[in-house]
Amino acid sequence: MAQMPALIPKEVEIQRLKKIWLIVIAMGSTAASVEVDNFVDGSLHQTSIRDSAFTPAHWWLYSHFVALPLGWGSVAIYDRKVPVLRGPNNSMNTGLKMTILGYLATMFTIGVNEMWHFWFVEEIFAVPNHWMFNMGVVVAFMGALAYVVRVYARLVELGAETPGENPYVAELYKMALEGKLYSRAIP
Amino acid sequence: MTLPKGFGSGGSGGASSADVEKMIGRRVENMTGIISLAYIAAWLATFGGTAAGYFYYPWAYPTPSGHYAFIVLTIVEAIGYLFCVKVMEEGTKRKSNGIIGAVLGGTAVGTIIISLFVGT
Repeated sequence: MAQMPALIPKEVEIQRLKKIWLIVIAMGSTAASVEVDNFVDGSLHQTSIRDSAFTPAHWWLYSHFVALPLGWGSVAIYDRKVPVLRGPNNSMNTGLKMTILGYLATMFTIGVNEMWHFWFVEEIFAVPNHWMFNMGVVVAFMGALAYVVRVYARLVELGAETPGENPYVAELYKMALEGKLYSRAIP
Repeated sequence: MTLPKGFGSGGSGGASSADVEKMIGRRVENMTGIISLAYIAAWLATFGGTAAGYFYYPWAYPTPSGHYAFIVLTIVEAIGYLFCVKVMEEGTKRKSNGIIGAVLGGTAVGTIIISLFVGT
C-alpha cells in the first residue's frame, strides 16, 4: 500500500481514526445483537408462526435495521474529516458505501416484509421477502470488513500502535514495519 | 499543509499545537467514562432483548437459550469494551485498569446472577 501524503497533522488523524473505530465497534455490537435476535425470531416463528407484526422479536430486529444504517451514516459524516479514507473520485469510501447500502436494503425490507405478510401469514424462512434481509446483511458485513481493515492499516502506517514492552518483541515489531521480518528466513 | 478555515496563522505557516488541539477536540484517551457507560448500556440492552424470551414468550424462546445468548453476547461486548479502552489509551500515560476491572467484574457478576435467578 502506497504511503499517502499527510493532509492533516498526524496526531489529529490518529485521534480521528480511533474515534471512527469507537463508532464501528458500537455498530459491531449492534450487528452481533441482530444475529442473536435472528435465533429469537426464528424460534418464535417456528412455534407460533406469526402472532403480530409488533411482537417483541420484531421490536428488537427492526429497531436494529433502522439503527444500523443511521449509525453507519454517522460514520460517513465523520469519515469526511479523514482525507485518506476517501473513495474513488473523492466520493465516500467504497467499503463504507457497501455497508450503508447493505443496511439500507435491510431497512427497506422491513416494509417489504410487512407488506408480504399482510397477505401471507406464514413464516417460511426461504420466502422471497426475507431474501433481502440476508443479502443486505452479507453485503454490509463485506463492506464493513473492508472499511475496518483500511482504518487499521492506516493506523499501522501512522505508527499508532505501541511496540511491545519486551525488547525482543519490540525489535520484531520494528523489523516488521521495515519489511525485514522474514528476510532472515528467506535470504 | 493547507489547514481548514479558522486554523493557522493565515500565512504559509504550519499548524501550531493549539491548532492541533482545536482540530482534535475531545481526545480519545479521555473518553473512558463514556465508553464504560456505552458498554453498560449495551449490556442492559442485551438483557432487554433476551428478556423478550424470559418474560413474554418463554414457550417459544426457552430461558436456557436466552441465558446462553446473553452470556455469549456479554463476553463479545466485554472483549470489545476492553479493546476500546486499551486502544484509546495506547501511547499515552493514562491507565484505567481500575475502572475496566470494576465494570467488567460488575457485568460478570450481574450476568451470573441473571443466569441463575431470572427467567422461568
